[in-house]
Amino acid sequence: MKVWNLLIVGAGPAGLNAAIAAAGEGLKVKIIDEFNRIGGRLLGQLHQEPNGEWWNGIDVANRLHEKAITLGVKIESGVSVYDLEQSEFGWKVYTSEGMEKTEKLLLATGATEVPTPIPGWTIPGVMSIGAAQVMGNVHRVKPGNTCVIIGANVLSIAIANELRLCGVEVKEIVISQPNSSLTHSGTPEKVMESLLQLTHLAPSVLLRQAGRVAKYIHPSLAVKFYPKNGMNILDIPIKIKTAATEIIGDKKVKGVKTVNIRSNGEIIPNTERITEADFVCIAGGLAPLPELAALTSCEFKFVHELGGHIPLHSERMETNEPNLFVAGNITGVESAKVAMAQGTVAGLTIASEIKGNKKHSDSAIEEALLTVRKEREEALIQFQPNIARARELIYQQFELDWKAESPKRSIS
Amino acid sequence: MAGEKTIVCRCEEVTLETIVDTIEQYSCSSREVKLRTRAGMGYCGGRTCRNVIDRIVAATNGEPIKDELQLSYRSPIRPATFEVLGGGHENES
Ligand SMILES: Cc1cc2nc3c(=O)[nH]c(=O)nc-3n(C[C@H](O)[C@H](O)[C@H](O)COP(=O)(O)OP(=O)(O)OC[C@H]3O[C@@H](n4cnc5c(N)ncnc54)[C@H](O)[C@@H]3O)c2cc1C
Ligand code: FES
Repeated sequence: MKVWNLLIVGAGPAGLNAAIAAAGEGLKVKIIDEFNRIGGRLLGQLHQEPNGEWWNGIDVANRLHEKAITLGVKIESGVSVYDLEQSEFGWKVYTSEGMEKTEKLLLATGATEVPTPIPGWTIPGVMSIGAAQVMGNVHRVKPGNTCVIIGANVLSIAIANELRLCGVEVKEIVISQPNSSLTHSGTPEKVMESLLQLTHLAPSVLLRQAGRVAKYIHPSLAVKFYPKNGMNILDIPIKIKTAATEIIGDKKVKGVKTVNIRSNGEIIPNTERITEADFVCIAGGLAPLPELAALTSCEFKFVHELGGHIPLHSERMETNEPNLFVAGNITGVESAKVAMAQGTVAGLTIASEIKGNKKHSDSAIEEALLTVRKEREEALIQFQPNIARARELIYQQFELDWKAESPKRSIS
Repeated sequence: MAGEKTIVCRCEEVTLETIVDTIEQYSCSSREVKLRTRAGMGYCGGRTCRNVIDRIVAATNGEPIKDELQLSYRSPIRPATFEVLGGGHENES
């Protein structure tokens, strides 16, 4: 049975670009993805860039897919990886189609959505915002004619616009109930703060408008003057002073019950209202998907800015586990372009370990690292503030724990 | 609050109220919440509720979420048939 030089789990932007970089250096590479199409979360993405051009994720995915195939990468879709095991040659990878052997293993499994449970969220017709994105943009199925989105963040605003382009009437974006242990976004003030921070670099009309109310003033003031009836962004009212308390319906969603709230999250009495809708989207945020790494003895860190638990890793995408690498959203939630750039770094790092031609590869890796930093700085969508700083700390921690001294294992 | 009406773990139908009560009574970790209430132990293997449980525990205890994963992952991390698990597909020599 063949032993691959590199096996990659996940055919999103990170996995595809890693494969392209590694195969470009002459490695025998295979990618496995459980979805039936290649491209990961790219497939759902459609937004306008600062220069006015459209970012069409499906086109990007097709381009990367073709390039990988041309370089001889073997790609399998519709296959899940369910277990991993260290072995003398590297890794045994267990999939729904049998076992694969590989010297090096790259986990590029992306991110998952975190729901915000609210009464009624189990009624048919309630879905995550990402599910609505996939239905509309990937499967070309309109989830309904009218919708309410619960959760005001950069992703929900972007996807609201995509739904609008699909012909859905997005009646309103409201926030989830504050003062509950379920939400991380919290009071209108907190929501405003994150929206403002997230949009300071975002020059597209869509995202800039969210921050426009108060680009240069304090969030608390911005909330104070934020209109009770919300602000319209491309005809979609964003109401950060309205909170959803319950989703109503029996066999099918009928609508969302809301109340008005003050800046500090306090409910204003007698403001209960029902907004009818065919379907309801919950936008609770994203978290890295580290399942496979968690089956190994990889060290983990919880980093709020990066979306949750991530495998500790170096800037070159190594983990403390020999022959195990990570790239893309599993290392922290960021936009597709950052994931692509990280993929290149991982592919080159792995090629350099296998080929052992350090001189040649070091300069290529340095260049790829610069691209990651540049993409991060210029990213249109930033899921959390202070990502760059949080990443620096992770790289330092890795050097401290795993590089500084031998023996390799630190006890902490 | 509508804690008794808010389901957190869909697979095992565990409510927010049950989880918060458990944390308050035993001042416990996500792992203990799982063992006591079955939240996170359902068919989806906690894929849907795991991050939410961690957040509720952190908020209720007033502590940050720990670096170590409290709700562990176990193989197989995807539903797999006995044939697959038994190596029936394997093309190993
Ligand atoms: C709902 C949602 C919407 C998003 N929208 C945007 C957006 O509009 N713009 C933007 O820039 N970013 C968006 N992102 C962020 C997005 O994750 C990144 O843009 C980018 O796609 C991350 O790339 P990746 O390669 O790390 O992972 P992904 O693109 O997520 O790819 C990971 C792949 O791994 C596969 N996989 C996971 N586990 C297994 C397994 N066990 N076995 C086999 N295959 C597996 C998955 O099927 C998936 O195809 C979104 C993320 C989510 C979750
Ligand atoms: S939702 Fe809790 S285990 Fe599935």
